[in-house]
Amino acid sequence: MTTKRTARAWKHASLHLAMVAVSFCMLLPFYWVLKTSLTGENIFVYPPSVVPVHPHPFYYVDVWYYIPFPRYLLNSVVVSALSIAANVVFNALAAYALTRHFRGRGAIITVLLSCMMIPFQTTIVPAYLITAKLGLLNSYLGLALPTFSTIVCIFVYKASFEAVPRSLIDAARIDGLSELAIIRRIMLPLATSAVATNVVLSFIWSWNNFLWPLIIVRDPLMQTLPLGLSRFLSYHENTTGALYAFCIMVLAPGILLFLMAQKEFIRGLTSGATKG
Amino acid sequence: MWVFLLPSLAVFLLYRILPLAWNGVLSVQQFSPFAPAQWLGLDHYREMADDAVFWRSLVNTLWFMASAPVGIVLALAISLMVNTGIRGRDVYRTIVFLSYPLMTVAVGIIWRWMYDEKVGLFNFILRSLHLIDTPLAFLQSFELALPSVLLANVWQILGFYMIILLAGLQTIPQNLYEAAAIDGAGPWRQFRRITLPLLRPSLFLAFVIGIMTSFTSFDLVYVMTQGGPSHRSELLITYIYKAAFELSRIDYAAALTVVQFVLLVTLTWLGNRLAGGDAGSVEAG
Repeated sequence: MTTKRTARAWKHASLHLAMVAVSFCMLLPFYWVLKTSLTGENIFVYPPSVVPVHPHPFYYVDVWYYIPFPRYLLNSVVVSALSIAANVVFNALAAYALTRHFRGRGAIITVLLSCMMIPFQTTIVPAYLITAKLGLLNSYLGLALPTFSTIVCIFVYKASFEAVPRSLIDAARIDGLSELAIIRRIMLPLATSAVATNVVLSFIWSWNNFLWPLIIVRDPLMQTLPLGLSRFLSYHENTTGALYAFCIMVLAPGILLFLMAQKEFIRGLTSGATKG
Repeated sequence: MWVFLLPSLAVFLLYRILPLAWNGVLSVQQFSPFAPAQWLGLDHYREMADDAVFWRSLVNTLWFMASAPVGIVLALAISLMVNTGIRGRDVYRTIVFLSYPLMTVAVGIIWRWMYDEKVGLFNFILRSLHLIDTPLAFLQSFELALPSVLLANVWQILGFYMIILLAGLQTIPQNLYEAAAIDGAGPWRQFRRITLPLLRPSLFLAFVIGIMTSFTSFDLVYVMTQGGPSHRSELLITYIYKAAFELSRIDYAAALTVVQFVLLVTLTWLGNRLAGGDAGSVEAG
């Protein structure tokens, strides 16, 4: 009995040891960038210090002088907000339609599933020409439009809506509620976690988006945070602590949101992935 | 019901389906922003056959796909450890997954810094362990640039593979293992005969996502190496971007995109066939 227990204890200890090693490797880059953002690095001194020496917050202040940080932040926030709002509404409408039976429903689902196989990166050239034709280069709408609806998120809604009892919807219809009112007053309140998934995923995707703004934004005032980061890298040397302070400032909102809504995030990714 | 579908369908039509078709059209045209497009035939494809940078980026993209098997094997090991019900499994899972939702541009800048020749962490570690005498310029090296970017890519996507595999592991009925243990099957046999076959759909899914990622990893390459040195870490996607928006060769970029897309679809289809082709043997074994 005791040998069995010690064997189990050993097994668990070695598992923990392995997982601590893995965690260490995964967290190391975070530590290194945080350290540099607080101390900077003198490239003429070797070896680099492993622990922070005389940490100070001044690089975080520098960022505001190097680049128009508030403006980039505003642009990123506006674009993300547009994208979130559109996703929450459009995807809900589409998903509700897909829970009903109508001619061509199967065809629509096939089209959506095939669209998932077209990565946005393979559409950039015509997408740029289309956006130019629409006169949306250098605009918030142009930045957000391609992300206005996401197939994964439609399926997240759809799964949630299908769990709503049929009788509830029939009762609402007898009471004279319009289809739109059914979505707003019955479906969405019963699908709060699907709404949360939509918000989290569309935020992360539009907040992190780099290639699209890189293509359609020429106006320095319309740049979003990822563009600002890459500009910063090409205009200033990459040895100043301010660059890494900037990195931390840009990463923080995403990390915070992810830690708060991890469940919704993972649920969205796994349900979307298994649908595809 | 069609009215409700309209907004979403409009977005997909405008930014998925129409571009796909337009790519095909552009690729056989001579495009100029100032004059109407002219029919050109297959000239762009002929040019591609002689374009050394195209072949280089094609080979690099295929190499970059190695990040999928590497990442999936690591993620499988981690998922198996996390799935044993050890205490703190949620903490471990969060830590491994934390890098996935990060802004890739920032990830690229962080890794660039860790690869730094003078004060980078990697050089510091390797020199402290006396594995190398002179510091390595990882991202400026012909041989090391692509693998270095690949490692950063694995670091970022590892957590996503883990999530997919964990979801797959949780669908395997526990009593299969109990029955196997009664029959005297050891852990290795249980893994080979139960876990691996039943995990096949998840593994395949992770692999398809991995292929897609290697075809779309623009941000990381752009920030870390710009495709350099002399196109040693150029991927098709970065070459397409350069052709279209730095060299203003919209039509040639469209032809490159067609090749990239056909390749992507073929590889995914092939993977699907392989995964589905002998899926029946799960029951037989």
